[in-house]
Amino acid sequence: MSARIITITSGKGGVGKTTTVANLGVALSRMGQRVVVIDSDIGLRNLDMILGLQNRIIYDIVDLVEGRCRARQALIRDRVVPELYLLPAAQSRDKTAVSPADMVRICEQLRNECDFILVDSPAGIELGFRNAIAPSDEFILVTTPEYAALQDVDRVLGILESEGRDQTRLIINRMRPELSRRGDSLTVDQVLDVLGLDLLGIVPESEDVIAANVRGVPIAHAAETLAGQAYQNIARRLLGEQVAFIPLLKGRPKWWQRLGLGRRSAGNDGA
Amino acid sequence: MDKAIQIKGTREGLTITLGASSMPDVLQDLGHQLRTQGAFFRGGAVALQATTRALTRDEIVAVRDLLADYDMTLRTIVTSNDVTRQAATQLDIKVVDAEPQRAVARAAPPREGREPTGPSTGDGMRGMLVKRVVRSGQTVRHAGHVVVIGDVNVGGEILAGGDIVVWGRLRGLAHAGCYGDEKALVCALELAPQQLRIAQHVARPAEGGRRAGDEPEVARVADGAIVVEPWDQARRQGAPR
Ligand SMILES: Nc1ncnc2c1ncn2[C@@H]1O[C@H](COP(=O)(O)OP(=O)(O)OP(=O)(O)O)[C@@H](O)[C@H]1O
Ligand SMILES: [Mg+2]
Repeated sequence: MSARIITITSGKGGVGKTTTVANLGVALSRMGQRVVVIDSDIGLRNLDMILGLQNRIIYDIVDLVEGRCRARQALIRDRVVPELYLLPAAQSRDKTAVSPADMVRICEQLRNECDFILVDSPAGIELGFRNAIAPSDEFILVTTPEYAALQDVDRVLGILESEGRDQTRLIINRMRPELSRRGDSLTVDQVLDVLGLDLLGIVPESEDVIAANVRGVPIAHAAETLAGQAYQNIARRLLGEQVAFIPLLKGRPKWWQRLGLGRRSAGNDGA
Repeated sequence: MDKAIQIKGTREGLTITLGASSMPDVLQDLGHQLRTQGAFFRGGAVALQATTRALTRDEIVAVRDLLADYDMTLRTIVTSNDVTRQAATQLDIKVVDAEPQRAVARAAPPREGREPTGPSTGDGMRGMLVKRVVRSGQTVRHAGHVVVIGDVNVGGEILAGGDIVVWGRLRGLAHAGCYGDEKALVCALELAPQQLRIAQHVARPAEGGRRAGDEPEVARVADGAIVVEPWDQARRQGAPR
């Protein structure tokens, strides 16, 4: 049994990488998967807060790298779902405390004890990003429907492709269908047109997400919300299921939604 | 002003040939050419053609540092002078013996994977085929023609000594004829670049971005400016070359 190792990255800051990792961790483990989420944003740790685990940290990734603890001791078990574990970042150190080789080593150690390892990448394309992508075979790129985020994802994609790492898929976060319908933000088609990537999911802009992050209980626990459902759908797609994109705008589903088509044929308002 | 130096693009990189001018003049002229055309050359490897001139270590360092300001690397010095040879060796710069009568400079080959590919074309220039999306932050640089099968995204760059053909959408920057060839062309299925350059001419789309025509287009220099025409119009007027 060897876990799939997936890095969530974006180039641009603040587009929702950490939110994605927390929610996919929750959604996958609710589906019975054993998941380890790793916060590689050393010096700016966040993932613990979104999962509501910030008070339970004893050891962190730098302690593990520097041999002050064993992997099992550093992993923090989630409060809600049974098989979700967090390897937190260190807050008082900087990115140089961990190397790409350290990341590979840590993930190899954990790999045989779980089904998924999700690595939360910091923004940028420097060492922190290098650390985050080092151990992974798969990549989820996160963008928002705006040019700046899109161009940064394109940059990251170029770097990954030039290294022959082509298992890349896209999540469009903070989608506001009424805005893109008016032409005030990019549509899903415009984004896919530039990147030429497989679409893994679309997450709507939602106050529910912000509130859930603040409470430390990711929205993926709440299947009745549109965003929660979006994350659960993404988790199912990760497991290979064909899941139709749910409409983000009310109205009759489009032909491709009725056919249950995802990916490139998605129109501009499905989750 | 009489040029103290000459910069030429070759298949392998750039060659800078020193004339007989004094070193301060050489540096001043080099600085001027780099300032005005530096972007053309950025990132390249340079061969300095010094032939019989005696260059001191400090003089070579001055040239090297100036080039470094424009991201260029002094790789090779072509010389038949012992003083220059010794100084270059001290600085770990490769020395190539100048053949006094036939001074052919070979710059170091361009960086990783930029080796010219594809068959040689009728005009003696080689072509390079790029079969992928050129993404933001990526630069394709080639002394001959460049053909891209795929898009050139915003933030991506193509620099070619010859023509540029994009079988896809051109949304980044394209510089054809980047060593001064005014006859160079840029063609794209969808021509909507951030900026277009041919030789020393620069064209920028109107604010808000150029809307590409819905057919393939060709850009070329006519009467000292870059013009863009639909492909079949350019063809009806006779092959543009
Ligand atoms: N779908 C959404 N709807 C509304 N708010 C969101 C959504 N996704 C993320 N946010 C909010 O956006 C902010 C940034 O999210 P997050 O921290 O996940 O981004 P990030 O990419 O990890 O940032 P950084 O680059 O700083 O690590 C947070 O306040 C989060 O609550
Ligand atoms: Mg983050």
